[in-house]
Amino acid sequence: MEVKKYSEGELISGLRNQEANAFSYLYDNYGGALFGIIFKLVEDKELSEDIMQEAFIKIWNNFENYDSAKGRLFTWMLNITRNLTIDTLRSKGYKKQAKIHNNENTVDNFVDISSGADKFDSLGIRKHLTHLKNDQKQIIDLAYFSGFTQDEISKQLSIPLGTVKTRMRTAIMALRKLLGN
Amino acid sequence: MEAKDIISSGILELYALGIASHEEVVQVEQWLLNYLEVKEELYHIENAIEEYAKANAVEPSATLKERIINKIDFDKSITPDTFHSSNVLIPVSNNKTDQKVYTISTFFKWAAAACFVLLLGSLALNYSYFNKYKAAKSDLQVAQTELSKTKEVASAMSHDMDVVTDKNARPVVLNGTPHAPDALAKIFWMKDSGEVYVDPSNLPQPSTGKQYQLWAIVDGKPVDAGMISLQKGIYKIQKMKSFGSAQAFAITLEKAGGSPTPTMDEMYVMAKVI
Repeated sequence: MEVKKYSEGELISGLRNQEANAFSYLYDNYGGALFGIIFKLVEDKELSEDIMQEAFIKIWNNFENYDSAKGRLFTWMLNITRNLTIDTLRSKGYKKQAKIHNNENTVDNFVDISSGADKFDSLGIRKHLTHLKNDQKQIIDLAYFSGFTQDEISKQLSIPLGTVKTRMRTAIMALRKLLGN
Repeated sequence: MEAKDIISSGILELYALGIASHEEVVQVEQWLLNYLEVKEELYHIENAIEEYAKANAVEPSATLKERIINKIDFDKSITPDTFHSSNVLIPVSNNKTDQKVYTISTFFKWAAAACFVLLLGSLALNYSYFNKYKAAKSDLQVAQTELSKTKEVASAMSHDMDVVTDKNARPVVLNGTPHAPDALAKIFWMKDSGEVYVDPSNLPQPSTGKQYQLWAIVDGKPVDAGMISLQKGIYKIQKMKSFGSAQAFAITLEKAGGSPTPTMDEMYVMAKVI
């Protein structure tokens, strides 16, 4: 069966209209990326899948709250998913931890547990990401995976709070350069 | 604040990563409405993060999608059937009900349909196999009957051969009398035990109600030696009464069950024993 390709605009309008097809595409297109975040934080497949389910239901039920003027769809979903994950862990007594280690290549670590990631790595950028400097990767991962606040990042990396923004800027710029945009 | 200052500050990166403070978020949202360059820059940042996310994707279980879809309240106007048939435009429905809509997913509908088809197929196969089974069973019975007949014949043959090949068997050929010139019978008389066997295979088929009777002539008098059965289809040398001595043997056709004395007119074969 041929799967319809949605542009982001089409996808958003499909979701607004509560089209099941659009939801299916949403899941296929972003499910792995969101699950990657949940799993990275939770490190338990069953609980991760429960959270994933809750996240997608939340995304679906609250879709009217999404405002494309404020950012892209994935950013919105990322925040819902990560917040839900952190709240769930907190309610279960987990503490936010930096699971990002300076000397390890996070991306390569992921390869071990995520054979399915290839499907999403359409541009083959995972290979390029190994060129990202460790400190750049680290600061992105602290924000992206761990959901650390600026304050927490500054403490974790022992850098002044005011430097977090510029460091992040530099790291994301490096990432964009690797991705070619 | 100029657009380029906003861009170079790094606040958009924090915003895109979802770790900007509440005040920062409000501010960025305001800028997004006012500065096209800021909006464009954010787009690129978000795009980079999205690619990063996809590069770090982890596949959940294949069943999770179905599980989530089953939990989702798709609008009533959207039947789950449209789920897999793409490119169907569904009209916007604004009167969302708060009532929970329980839908059966396409997967289970197909699964149920598949089960039904399998059931029908199974019934057809059962019927066909049952017929084959009945046919096979009756074939088997026929074969078993034939086999047991063959065994019987073989056993009779084997018994006959034992008689014929016995080293003590003394064969006596009983030739046809003028009354029945073509008739012939054989006797195997065991020298050691006196047992008498008769091979009646060359006697004519008796008329109904009649039966051949063997006589031994002992000391000039005919002595009954037993009735001969002519079972159709089975060649059978049969054991008669035993005689220590006899001068002759004869076979007469008598009424079924035999006679105390032979009917001489109906003597078919006879032989003197030397």
